[in-house]
Amino acid sequence: MTVHEIRTRHCDSKRGDASDGAVLAEAVGGRLSRVDGPAKITGAAKYAVEQQLDGLSHAVLVESTIAAGRVRSIDTAAAESAPGVLLVLTPDNVLRLNTATDWLGTPPPDAPYYPLARDITFSGQHVAAVVAESFEQAVAAAALVKVSYDEMAAIVDLSDPKAGDGIPIDAMTKEWGDAQAAFASAPVRICAAYNTPREYQTPLEPHGLIAHWEGDQLTVWEPSQWLDGMARTYAEWFGVPFENVRLISPYIGGGFGSKAFAYGYSAVAAIAAKMLGRPVKLAVTRPQTFTAYGGRAATRQTVALGADAEGRIQSIVHRGVNETSVDGMWVEPLGSVTSIMYATPNFSSRQNVVRVNTVVPGALRAPGENPSAFGIESAIDELADEVGIDPLEIRLRNYAEQDPEVKKPWSTRQLREAYAAGAEAFGWSKRTPEPRSMRDGNQLIGWGVAAGTYPVRRAYGEAVVRILADGSVEVESSSIDMGQGTYTILAQTAAEVVGVPAENVVVKLGDSRYPRAGVTGGSRLAGVMTGAVYKAATAALDQLVGLAISDPNSPFHALQANTLVVTKGRIASPRGDGPEVSITELLGSVGRDHIEAMGDTMPANSTVEDRYKNYTTIATALSHTEGDYSRHSWCAHFIEVRVDEDFGTVRVSRVVSALDSGRLYNPKLAESQWRGGIIMGIGQALLEEGIVDRRHGRIVNNNLADYLIATNADIPDIEVISVGIPDPHSSVLGGKGVGELGIVGVAPAIANAVFHATGKRVRDLPITLEKLI
Amino acid sequence: MTSKTPIHLDINGHRHELEVEPRVTLLDALRDHLGLTGTKKGCDHGQCGACTVHVDGQRVLACLTLAAQAEGRAVTTIEGLAEGDGTLHAVQAAFLEQDAFQCGYCTPGQIMSAVACIREGHAGSDDEIREYMAGNLCRCGAYPHIVAAVRQAALEVAS
Repeated sequence: MTVHEIRTRHCDSKRGDASDGAVLAEAVGGRLSRVDGPAKITGAAKYAVEQQLDGLSHAVLVESTIAAGRVRSIDTAAAESAPGVLLVLTPDNVLRLNTATDWLGTPPPDAPYYPLARDITFSGQHVAAVVAESFEQAVAAAALVKVSYDEMAAIVDLSDPKAGDGIPIDAMTKEWGDAQAAFASAPVRICAAYNTPREYQTPLEPHGLIAHWEGDQLTVWEPSQWLDGMARTYAEWFGVPFENVRLISPYIGGGFGSKAFAYGYSAVAAIAAKMLGRPVKLAVTRPQTFTAYGGRAATRQTVALGADAEGRIQSIVHRGVNETSVDGMWVEPLGSVTSIMYATPNFSSRQNVVRVNTVVPGALRAPGENPSAFGIESAIDELADEVGIDPLEIRLRNYAEQDPEVKKPWSTRQLREAYAAGAEAFGWSKRTPEPRSMRDGNQLIGWGVAAGTYPVRRAYGEAVVRILADGSVEVESSSIDMGQGTYTILAQTAAEVVGVPAENVVVKLGDSRYPRAGVTGGSRLAGVMTGAVYKAATAALDQLVGLAISDPNSPFHALQANTLVVTKGRIASPRGDGPEVSITELLGSVGRDHIEAMGDTMPANSTVEDRYKNYTTIATALSHTEGDYSRHSWCAHFIEVRVDEDFGTVRVSRVVSALDSGRLYNPKLAESQWRGGIIMGIGQALLEEGIVDRRHGRIVNNNLADYLIATNADIPDIEVISVGIPDPHSSVLGGKGVGELGIVGVAPAIANAVFHATGKRVRDLPITLEKLI
Repeated sequence: MTSKTPIHLDINGHRHELEVEPRVTLLDALRDHLGLTGTKKGCDHGQCGACTVHVDGQRVLACLTLAAQAEGRAVTTIEGLAEGDGTLHAVQAAFLEQDAFQCGYCTPGQIMSAVACIREGHAGSDDEIREYMAGNLCRCGAYPHIVAAVRQAALEVAS
């Protein structure tokens, strides 16, 4: 069932939230309830692997149980003779695919790609797969596949003595002034190491897909943050034209960075479907989601701050390390916040990556900025304590009035306003400075503050806006909604521009046959797609008005008006003279069944090749410091923790966050995303840690009972305050990023609060009780 | 193990006859055999709550329940919560109004738990709601909105 069908059935409940009066709920900036909501609360929304296809077969993966070595042999006899088994795939019979272009647009090597491995580089690598008539038969048969290995010693993690210092990543080096000398001569110096563990996206919908070949046409139902990018990967893997691959992903059960690519299991399912000539469903199991793709890399940072006696920073020396895999490269940019948060005349940041036997790490909400902020926002708190000034005051004292790295003005930076609004709402002025100075019975109370930021990533998008004779408006785009509210804000955008009620707008997303969009990641989609829809809707409205004025059969033809206005679906002269007719009546009188316009945000002279590259790679995305400005969203978190003095258990009891995401297209949904980021940050600070079995290099807590994410009982009320102003340099309609911002700075705010509560500085996440007692 | 057994399931007031292997869970019977995909599979191990349904009015995890165990008992899923004319249950309406979800994948389980939480008399305070809704994970982080929705729906159900 489509979003529109569900909405029509439940239209009475659609507008759950009245506007605050200033903005109509359904206009851009209004608090319209999410238009895909009715489908989600009734169970009608069909996610990827829920498609019911005739002849569907079921694939189950077999994974390596060693972290390094080589598959010696795979005994498939028992599995092949098990009931219902259709196919057992191993490295011996799996189809040879082409290596595909990567997301950066790097041309692939002329080498085959095999999604099932003989050479094992991490535990949990796909080595075989079983396809059977039923899911239960496939699960049972997969357990019968016997794999023997020649095992080698693995580098299990960053602390492994074999890991070494890693590879310097020169592109991450940022330096100005003479940071080492300035640090050495600074009157006040602090230097500490900050560590974050492996963390996982754990969207509630596990990954998976249904692949279906019809001739050389491939249809894939797969949760996707990037339909066009993934379609390109499939096309290149199988050597078929891009147009032959159709990705369908109308609903995505959470991604958080993990659903932008087609992975090895995707290839396995598509190969099995091709070999069997029937559709194959492969649902990655929850434990497999910990190794079928990468979570956030474990990181290590040292931050050295040199300051004068008043806490003014004179030098920052930063060194970072993140883990990557043995044969893949992931750089988690650890100096990204370090280099822009505070003004400093001297700065040095360098980063290495260290190869260990893990799946190649990947993006998890605010990759780079998140661990980077844990380092610098903890360190500035340590400096405040060292010089004896308030943690909020030291941030204002070192406020960066322009981008310290590229020396350009901020497009907008409402961080001072965020500090002020957050501190006021939190009651920061009542904080007593000494650690352990606030308590409630046996609970030590701590108040901490930290800032966060995320760059405004900009790219391009296309959309079609269609005005139909029944008065409705359709919007089509291959972009997606995984909960951020794309369906809703694009409906609001088209409604406002065309001049129809939002309930008359049908937004169709999540199909690669629609006009193209780049990746939904880096908090870029809302800005990109509201811009594209704004342009397409404006063009469609221009056509409508043009027809009304010039078509001889139009009721407005004799009026000789220069323009007309459309309000609530009715067309009239702004002068108030002449007729007022509905869109339906106008299109009827001029004999048209629809008006259609394509809009995009691409440069005007873009070629077909430019467009393909723009939508299937990130090679042409615009830098946040391109042109005259440095563009970022900003936030300040004020957090209260309560620490049990005897047991060391930490509870977050109060959060006030003030955030600058520029203009909000829908504050109701933006606030939800901010809170979601903050909540993920609470889990990161207190709970989340991938634990490596040092004997086997295996993630032992690869499930939702042992890899702890925040539950409802862990989360207090969270007050979020918008301090943003429209930023015309960041997007067409003035918004900046929302989705990643909220998490950045939460973990250090909690660590700083824990220090205030207990006097203990915890520099290794998560902050668990054994680190406090 | 692989021989199929006829069972009948009473789901949302409708009787369904199906032949399944004894090892088929209620969750897979709903999703794969009956096309009732509103009930979600998040972990298949009883850890996330996404598969929460009601059996004889009690909330249970469909992934830890064999289909055969539900034979002869009244099963209610998210698809059976709204009125026949499409009027939403008070909890569903409150979830929409309070924006108590984002991606929507944990939402059916949250709503089924919330209905039971209210019925059990465990929606008396925000803290009580948090505790009795803690078995349903939400990675988008809609928890404060879920608490607000359960609080609102509890008041509506009571009045």
